[in-house]
Amino acid sequence: MPFETVLGAWVATGLTLFIFTFLYQDNPLFKLAEHLYVGVSVGYTIVKVYDTVIVRLLYEPMVKQGDWSLLIPLGIGMLMLARYVPKIAWLSRIAFAFIVGVGSGLAIPRVISSYILKQVEDTVRPLVSLASEGGPTFTYNLLDPASNLNALVLLIGVVSVLFYFFFSVEHTGPVRVAARTGILFLMIAFGAAFGYTVMARMSLLIGRFTDLIEFADPRYGRASLWLLVATVATLIVSSARRREQPPGGG
Amino acid sequence: MTFAERMLHIDRRIIFLVIAVCTLLPLLYPVGLAIKVSPEVRGVHDYLESLPEGSVFLLSMDFDPASKPELHPQAVALLRHAFKKNLRVIGMTLWVTGTGLADLVFSQVAQEMGKVNGKDYAFLGWSPGVGALIITMGQDLYKAFPSDYYNQPTRELAVLKGIQSLRDVNYVVSLAAGTAGIESWYVFGKDKYKFELGGGCTGVIAPGLYPLLRSGQINGLIGGLRGAAEYEALIGRKGRAVAGMDAQSATHFAIIMLVILCNVFYLFTRTSRGQSGQPRG
Repeated sequence: MPFETVLGAWVATGLTLFIFTFLYQDNPLFKLAEHLYVGVSVGYTIVKVYDTVIVRLLYEPMVKQGDWSLLIPLGIGMLMLARYVPKIAWLSRIAFAFIVGVGSGLAIPRVISSYILKQVEDTVRPLVSLASEGGPTFTYNLLDPASNLNALVLLIGVVSVLFYFFFSVEHTGPVRVAARTGILFLMIAFGAAFGYTVMARMSLLIGRFTDLIEFADPRYGRASLWLLVATVATLIVSSARRREQPPGGG
Repeated sequence: MTFAERMLHIDRRIIFLVIAVCTLLPLLYPVGLAIKVSPEVRGVHDYLESLPEGSVFLLSMDFDPASKPELHPQAVALLRHAFKKNLRVIGMTLWVTGTGLADLVFSQVAQEMGKVNGKDYAFLGWSPGVGALIITMGQDLYKAFPSDYYNQPTRELAVLKGIQSLRDVNYVVSLAAGTAGIESWYVFGKDKYKFELGGGCTGVIAPGLYPLLRSGQINGLIGGLRGAAEYEALIGRKGRAVAGMDAQSATHFAIIMLVILCNVFYLFTRTSRGQSGQPRG
């Protein structure tokens, strides 16, 4: 196995175990891994952005291909740096105005079309279908998203939740019934979202455990086992030192 | 303090330990519980399966290493399927922090399937802009990505021959851990350039994407590790996701039991306080 793969396994295992130690208590190993994570993420992002934006999208097309039209976006981008010079800080507003203007122009029509019009279109579905003989029919299959029963549930859900968030009228009488129904739908939605979140978090744990099991293999020098022993030992020492320190002492 | 009260004040590290054991044991001693494929996962699989050889498949890996356990198995399964079908595969990412991981997945699966970079697939890497980038890709792919991840001019890549923009792409799948991701591809891409779009996502964002699925804005959705396991089962190549399903079931069972027990103990404490005349709550 290549040395860099083994080294990567040791680093990954160590950092995983260091982060896991926070479940026991806050400690220097966790702090080390946390700071490394932030530092590496930021460093990686800076390097990638420099390489992609400055070198590949600006420098190379301008210098190697003579595409000097890129000076315009470069100039607008440079105006943002004017914020650091108080006397000409107002120039940065031009760049921000450009970004806000273009961003809004691109996003607003598309978002309205995708999220509002398309979703409204899908919500307002016929509550009764036409049977093959031509007469009206009502399909009851809850497992079929296109069934009439599901269209009815969707309609009731949307209307009742909208009623719940309708604060201009006091929630009494029929409005109260509709709002209460809305709460039920909201609770079901929150429950589903929470269930998925639990599933996602457990998947992350499974992912890390799978790696730890793999890296406990002799091919990786039993990285998981050795580092687990080292981490536990460090935690014990750290706890002992913490107990020895007087309360409130630095 | 009654037993129920003691249980409600249990050291939470014991609960962490229970969850850890429930996760670790099935990983070490798998049972092999059955995996039922959902229609939303089948939607992505069947569309990819229906594409003829040489069709263009764009996989946008819009996640970073923090979501690797859920989305990496999805990416591997999709790439194995696409390479097996001899599709022309284009890879990219909208997340700058995911570039290295995306490249690793592409190169590893391509090597495993005997595919060559530039001839069978291209990895374009990352470019800034999200919405503006997708719109530019819809107008001219080569303006958005003048060179690929390895700094080769994209116009010279054999795999991209005949492809001018997103209109020439047959199927786009975004594997997303948030925004930018599936929604960006729909809003700025599919809605305008009319390619077919599928999605894969982390469990956290899956409920928010179901409305897009129902309305036909995406033709399928692979949700979390579970979705990845279903896809692995569909292509007949069991991998990390299937291996993790026993652990997933065990931890879910443990959490359900903990929720039930907590409620039972809570009810006991309320009842005992009511009987002793203490205020409830």
